[in-house]
Amino acid sequence: MKNKKQSDAVQLPAFGGVGGGSELTELQVDLIDAYIKENGVAQSELQEDLLDHLCTSMENRIQQGESFEEAFQYTLNLFGPGGLKQVQNETFELLTEMNAIMKKLTFGFGLTSTFLLLAGTIFKLMHWPLASIMMVLGAGLLVLGYLPMILAHKLKESPKGEALLHISGFVGLTMTSVGVLFKVMHWPGAAVMLLGGMGVLAFGYVPIYFFKRYKTSVNKPVTLSSMMVSVACLILIFALMKTGNSSYYENGVMLTDESLTEELESTSNLNAALYASALSTDMTELKTEANELVAHIDNLKLELVAKAANVSTEEALKINLIDLEKKHDMVIPRELLLGADDKLREGQFSAIELKGLFDHYRNSVLSQYPNDLQTVMSNNLGLRTDGAFRNAHGEEQDWIHHQFEYTPLFTLITNLTKWQLDVRQMENQVLLSKISRPEASNPPS
Amino acid sequence: MYHCHMYSQELLKGTLQTIILSLLAENERMYGYEITQHVKDKTAGEIQLTEGALYPTLHKLEAEGFLTTEKVSIGKRVRKYYSLTEIGTKQANDKVIEFRKFSETMNDLLNSFNQPPKSPERGLSPTLQLLSRLMLNEKTESPCLT
Repeated sequence: MKNKKQSDAVQLPAFGGVGGGSELTELQVDLIDAYIKENGVAQSELQEDLLDHLCTSMENRIQQGESFEEAFQYTLNLFGPGGLKQVQNETFELLTEMNAIMKKLTFGFGLTSTFLLLAGTIFKLMHWPLASIMMVLGAGLLVLGYLPMILAHKLKESPKGEALLHISGFVGLTMTSVGVLFKVMHWPGAAVMLLGGMGVLAFGYVPIYFFKRYKTSVNKPVTLSSMMVSVACLILIFALMKTGNSSYYENGVMLTDESLTEELESTSNLNAALYASALSTDMTELKTEANELVAHIDNLKLELVAKAANVSTEEALKINLIDLEKKHDMVIPRELLLGADDKLREGQFSAIELKGLFDHYRNSVLSQYPNDLQTVMSNNLGLRTDGAFRNAHGEEQDWIHHQFEYTPLFTLITNLTKWQLDVRQMENQVLLSKISRPEASNPPS
Repeated sequence: MYHCHMYSQELLKGTLQTIILSLLAENERMYGYEITQHVKDKTAGEIQLTEGALYPTLHKLEAEGFLTTEKVSIGKRVRKYYSLTEIGTKQANDKVIEFRKFSETMNDLLNSFNQPPKSPERGLSPTLQLLSRLMLNEKTESPCLT
């Protein structure tokens, strides 16, 4: 039995028989140990294994008459061209291989989130329901499931010096993904997330990546595929930003606001002229109320712009809406008109106040018409705040939530102009009906 | 990887775990060098494990809980004896049975190729018949080859 013979041989004290014996001396063992450590084997368990292996093998060779050097060379050659370092690398690879559950989980997270994101995008483009839920779930799985698992695996698998690379990549990707999600969902903070994420990728991940690549393998160019993936990501982000707030759409809304404002001015002028002509009844009260309501809405607009630009209302007067950075903001209108919490806000510039003013003005206008006309007028006059509305998902809403809960600032301002015009046109209709025309009021006898 | 004189690496890949586990099932406890020598002796040098393949697999099996180690210090150095755990013993059994079945199946499969030229080549598709004749350097009257 060869094995038995070997164990017997090494059980002799190693420092005993220098010279004639086949056992290695303490010094020789130290030498081999130093060689192992110097040649890139850092793991202590493996060091022990290799030391014993080398020593035993060499003792065997020496027993057969070889010198220390010959035995050392022979044994080392058995390790193949990769040497001792290769043994460690292979051990490392085998040990850090993902286990079956981890593999399945990572694969599952990746597949599900990709599917949800793609389906969500299609649903969103087609304006089908559930798009938002899919996208939020998909992005959530990506950010909370897939990316952390990949990070954990990368950290385990690669040397300590590369931790920063993987962490910066993880943080950058996570922030960018969340930013894209926020952008698509029109949630506040998207721009900061996107900028932050891309900043981390650009100034953290990419430089470290290239530096490491440069250091480890000089001749290996960055693979084409990874380059293409990053370029594709950039294009995607720009495409998303473009569709997120198309400038064509903005210009359209601004144009509407412009023509509404023109119409408002001309109707106001017309009404002023009509007041000057002979009227069958005293209209001072309606005139005052209409003027006050139009002025109130003007002030409300100014207040919105001032809050969005973070300036005083005087300065807000000078701001052009198209230049306003936060013109897509939905939180400022909501907080001003509805309040920050679930309970509706009351008081100046609240939606409740505005609704009250609308209802009161509407009643004042109606009272100017004869009784038999009031029902039909009531159904067809502008500024109605009763009845049920439906949001984009088909849920029922009241007027206040429908108008102010998720309305971008610049759209709301256009709407407010439209209501101002409504006020003037209702006033105009009453005026026209009250004009004392001699041929109408005094028919020829 | 294996150092081997007769078998291709492709062929032997995936059997290393089976070899180690079955050796340990036979021998209670062994250290690394002992395992390489044992394989070499048993196969008359046809299969020679290199350390580059042995130790990674040993550590992997240990991490998976199939092996435990026992350290015995020998003078200046430490010798690590590997032995099977309870689930390691079961795994060794499973692996050996699996490999036996595989090798039986391969035998059956390959036997049909290795039959004397005159025997009928029943059950083989025309392509395989042609292939087997080609492999046996047999002259054929098949119109495909003329």
